[in-house]
Amino acid sequence: MSVEAGVVKAGQGGQPGWAARRLAGIGAGALDNARAARLLYSIFIRTLYYSVRGRREKGAVLRACYGIGNRSLFFLTAVMGFVGMIMVFHSCTQINRITGDLHLVGATYIQLVVRDFAASVGSMMLATRVGAGIAAEIGSMVVTDQVDALRMCAAEPVDYLIVPRFKASVVMTTVLLVWAMFVMEVSGMLTAWGMFNVNPRIFWNLSMVDFRDLATGLTKCLAFGAAIPIVSGYCGLTTFGGAEGVGWATTRAVVWSCFATILLNFIISTTALYVFWA
Amino acid sequence: MIRVVGLRKRFGRKTVLEDVGVDIPAGGLWGLIGPGASGKTVLVKHVAGLLTPDAGRVEVEGQNISAMGEVARQKLRSRFGMLFQQNALFDSLTVAENIAFPLRRLTALDERQIAERVAERLARVGLAGFGDRTPNALSGGQRKRVGIARATVTQSEYLIFDEPTAGLDPVTSQKIFDLLRAEQISRKSTALMISSDVAGLMSVVDRVAMMLRGRLLFEGTRDEALASSDPYVKQFLRGETEGPL
Repeated sequence: MSVEAGVVKAGQGGQPGWAARRLAGIGAGALDNARAARLLYSIFIRTLYYSVRGRREKGAVLRACYGIGNRSLFFLTAVMGFVGMIMVFHSCTQINRITGDLHLVGATYIQLVVRDFAASVGSMMLATRVGAGIAAEIGSMVVTDQVDALRMCAAEPVDYLIVPRFKASVVMTTVLLVWAMFVMEVSGMLTAWGMFNVNPRIFWNLSMVDFRDLATGLTKCLAFGAAIPIVSGYCGLTTFGGAEGVGWATTRAVVWSCFATILLNFIISTTALYVFWA
Repeated sequence: MIRVVGLRKRFGRKTVLEDVGVDIPAGGLWGLIGPGASGKTVLVKHVAGLLTPDAGRVEVEGQNISAMGEVARQKLRSRFGMLFQQNALFDSLTVAENIAFPLRRLTALDERQIAERVAERLARVGLAGFGDRTPNALSGGQRKRVGIARATVTQSEYLIFDEPTAGLDPVTSQKIFDLLRAEQISRKSTALMISSDVAGLMSVVDRVAMMLRGRLLFEGTRDEALASSDPYVKQFLRGETEGPL
């Protein structure tokens, strides 16, 4: 049945046809998405506002730093160490098949890690751990009325719940991702040395890393560190239902945080390309 | 006075409140009863400005809280104390910190005065010495009492109690009803109370309303409720199994 037929049927029978219902469904979905985008934007702006003008809770940022930073350290070190080993192993294997000259593998690998890989892979790991944690904590506060209780006590939920995590995440994500760069480089160097006999002095070649790579990599660290708590906080604050709702909020937080980091990565990489390398 | 006019609220496709209107007089204890999922909690959350209606309005002393922005609502909400159905205690804070939280946020009291007020509230609800514990270390009834202490600690003009005696034994329940009534009278506050313990509630309220499937079925004095010929009200107040409910 065509759209036209559906509309005609709607007009004739008094009941909306399938096409009209379909269009209404698409329209409702679009409106829901527009509302969600507006709310996410509102949370972002309020987070920035309360980061400067909000009320400071003693020790809240430090506690969040510990939760986001210290408690992610082992997980991130292990994952990024293995990712570095896998990347160098495959790079060296491929190079050996073509030219067999491995003396620049370290230089190009380190450039790739500093400019992009440590930040993008590491931030997705943090999105799974930190993002899920933030959404679950705030989501369970929503379904048990604790967020409403905060509002009854004149505590703005964005200020009280998201801002400390935002500040902590910007600092600790940057620190963790810089650490992840180092871990990836060391694990890659050891892999190249142990399996392909590449001398560590030759591998540890920083000649291809310059200010532009560092600026791009650090900008990504800061942007991802800011995005994860805002997206996850939004998912937590829009939780509804009981335990199932919290589960969905957690899933949404991981998915949307990862999506946000990939989107930001694209935007920052493209901008850097035009600014630094055009 | 609190005035509710033509209130309607939907969550998705489910209508939770439909054309609810009532005047709640100042300085009294107003009870709200009704079967589960009849919209009682949603109604009092509208009164506290925690929800925005799809249609209709809530006026507190003539101010339309439903049309206010968040900042203005927050200012008005500071005149309310609320006990939530699930207590809504902050898990990360101790009992004393939970009770002190509204004082720190809403008043200019110093730490010594806050500590005194918290100790007085804890003693009043029979939990003296429990200040250092976390909510997770308390029983359901104890958590409820901490919630009551937090709701009443700021001595608000408006009090909302959502199931203040759920999970408490009959003796403690009656003590809590009497305590809340005494608090309300001593401060001349306006109190709204939802309770499934109909007998206990009826022993302290001035007026009572009954909700059914999102609509206000009855509103009147306690005596009018007890004398009501409405079959729903009669059955619910008497707890009979035979009837329209």
